[in-house]
Amino acid sequence: MTMLSVRGITRRFGGLVAVSDVSFDVYEGTILAIIGPNGAGKSTAFNLLTGFDRPDAGTVEFEGLPLRGLKPHRITRRGIARTFQDAQLFDEMSVLDNVLVGTHVWTKTGFLGAALHLPGVSREERLAREQALHLLRLVSLEDLADSLAGDVPHGQRRLVEIARALATRPRLLLLDEPAAGLNSAETRQLADTLRRIRDTGVTIVIVEHDMGLVMEISDQVIVLNEGRKIAEGPPRIIQKDPAVIEAYLGGDDADA
Amino acid sequence: MIASAAIRRQGLRLAALACVVALVLSVLLPGDRYLVRIFTLVGVNLIMVTGLSLLFGYAGQISMGHAAFFGLGAYTSGVLTKGGMPWVLALGAGVAVAAVVGLLLAMPSLRLKGHYLAMATLGFGEIVLFVFGEFESVTGGSNGLRQIPAAQVGSYAFDTPVAKYLLIWSVAFLVLIMASNLVRKRPGRALRAIHGSERGAQACGIDTRRVKVQVFTLSAALAGLAGVLYAHYVGFISPSTFSVSLSLVLVTMVALGGMGSLPGAVIGTVLLTLLPYADAILPGLSRETVAFLQDWETDIHGMVLILVMLFMPHGLAGLVRSIGTRLFAKRVRPALSRAGDTR
Ligand SMILES: Nc1ncnc2c1ncn2[C@@H]1O[C@H](COP(=O)(O)OP(=O)(O)OP(=O)(O)O)[C@@H](O)[C@H]1O
Ligand SMILES: [Mg+2]
Repeated sequence: MTMLSVRGITRRFGGLVAVSDVSFDVYEGTILAIIGPNGAGKSTAFNLLTGFDRPDAGTVEFEGLPLRGLKPHRITRRGIARTFQDAQLFDEMSVLDNVLVGTHVWTKTGFLGAALHLPGVSREERLAREQALHLLRLVSLEDLADSLAGDVPHGQRRLVEIARALATRPRLLLLDEPAAGLNSAETRQLADTLRRIRDTGVTIVIVEHDMGLVMEISDQVIVLNEGRKIAEGPPRIIQKDPAVIEAYLGGDDADA
Repeated sequence: MIASAAIRRQGLRLAALACVVALVLSVLLPGDRYLVRIFTLVGVNLIMVTGLSLLFGYAGQISMGHAAFFGLGAYTSGVLTKGGMPWVLALGAGVAVAAVVGLLLAMPSLRLKGHYLAMATLGFGEIVLFVFGEFESVTGGSNGLRQIPAAQVGSYAFDTPVAKYLLIWSVAFLVLIMASNLVRKRPGRALRAIHGSERGAQACGIDTRRVKVQVFTLSAALAGLAGVLYAHYVGFISPSTFSVSLSLVLVTMVALGGMGSLPGAVIGTVLLTLLPYADAILPGLSRETVAFLQDWETDIHGMVLILVMLFMPHGLAGLVRSIGTRLFAKRVRPALSRAGDTR
């Protein structure tokens, strides 16, 4: 079943067309990878899907409802969570508190309730904590729960962000280069974690440069180049697509 | 492990609270009026700084106009009680006026960030000060508002220094306890998240604009509350009390204590409120020193603010924390390396 349907989204920055008439569908329960050389428009596309940026043209529908004009926090509340390429953690808060912020979507305690310690506040707090600790275990970071997020090593920062995104109880999870900064063992563990997340019923869209990871976990791949979608299909086929090979070898970014 | 840490924190919190209560009561023991007066002012400032700490220390949104909300509370309640309104109602009105004006200011200006927000709130403070000075028929102009009656609940009037002191500190305690409940729960995390990364907070489903407006309004209301208590404590108010230099002191108190720390804000408030009255606490101090502290008060505050921002970005609370971390470093590091080994 189609969960997210993207039709003709376009975003211009002055003369540059960062995302150009891109369409694709995300099917429930699958992992979709978006790949492409640096500057292809992948992160811009994520911003267009999550309300951090507005498309100049095109539409996005999530579970049959348009997302047009919704602010980021509304989109999160609709069930789409995301991470950022430059992990947007709350550095002065503990790792556990970072994940707890993700539970804000489904918890209710307001200023007055918290200040007066109204009944139910403690119960909700306990529930949120249990959930947050559970998610930290899922990404194997439970030992860092009390550390300051700012002290967490680079690669693990993205795992904290994934746990935080999951704490919003999303149905669709968008990850922008989660494997950047991880070594190969950590990347393998990430692949496991992502599959486990998928198995709990969360659909995943991942932007990733690590082809090994993409080949291993994705059900479908779309390839962007200079803002345009140049290929789409299962990973095995994409790997051999001449247009894709050309895009990667033709540019300056042969490393990907 | 986390549960026991929580219990330890709770215990610490109670101990700290008990210490403050004991200290506050001990001020009354010597029967020294000067001392009581100074510590009454500490209580008033504490109410304001608690609000500013939520706004600035936790949410990272500066206000350089908080003295204006203090003034709005003071003038509203002063004028109304002089017109015959019971104090309890005037108290509500003073808080409400400060809150509503805070809300109206917050809605447009919290779109601004950093320097621009500072400038907007500074300008607002100047405008309110101008109104206090120019609306002579209501505010008494630069001569001020005289003979404001003491706070009165039913037939009981808080008309002795000790009664006023206890009233103000009771309110300060309530405010402090509610604020410390708030910061450790969901709303407090939202405030700190906004400070840490607005995009990150939005991605967590937080309506950052709304939360910022809420906390600004709350902190304006608390400044208004302090203003009401102040007006009925001193009995006389004039525009000069509510100038920008007071706003600057309040910001300095939060920064000196440490951003995002309520105990820090308390310590910052106590230190800087006592500064010009150092002779009351340290009897050996020479007259010249005291005169110097009083003459240069505003300049000292400015210097403190600059020094803190340059060399102590986490304030006194951060200093204490980093000393603590160094002492307990052995305990923290194994936990980190263990997490690294498992992958
Ligand atoms: N806010 C902006 N203003 C102007 N240009 C922008 C802006 N954001 C992105 N761009 C440009 O749009 C293009 C696409 O950028 P984007 O960040 O989406 O690429 P990407 O595919 O995520 O690349 P990378 O793999 O390096 O992360 C780039 O040329 C970039 O410089
Ligand atoms: Mg990118």
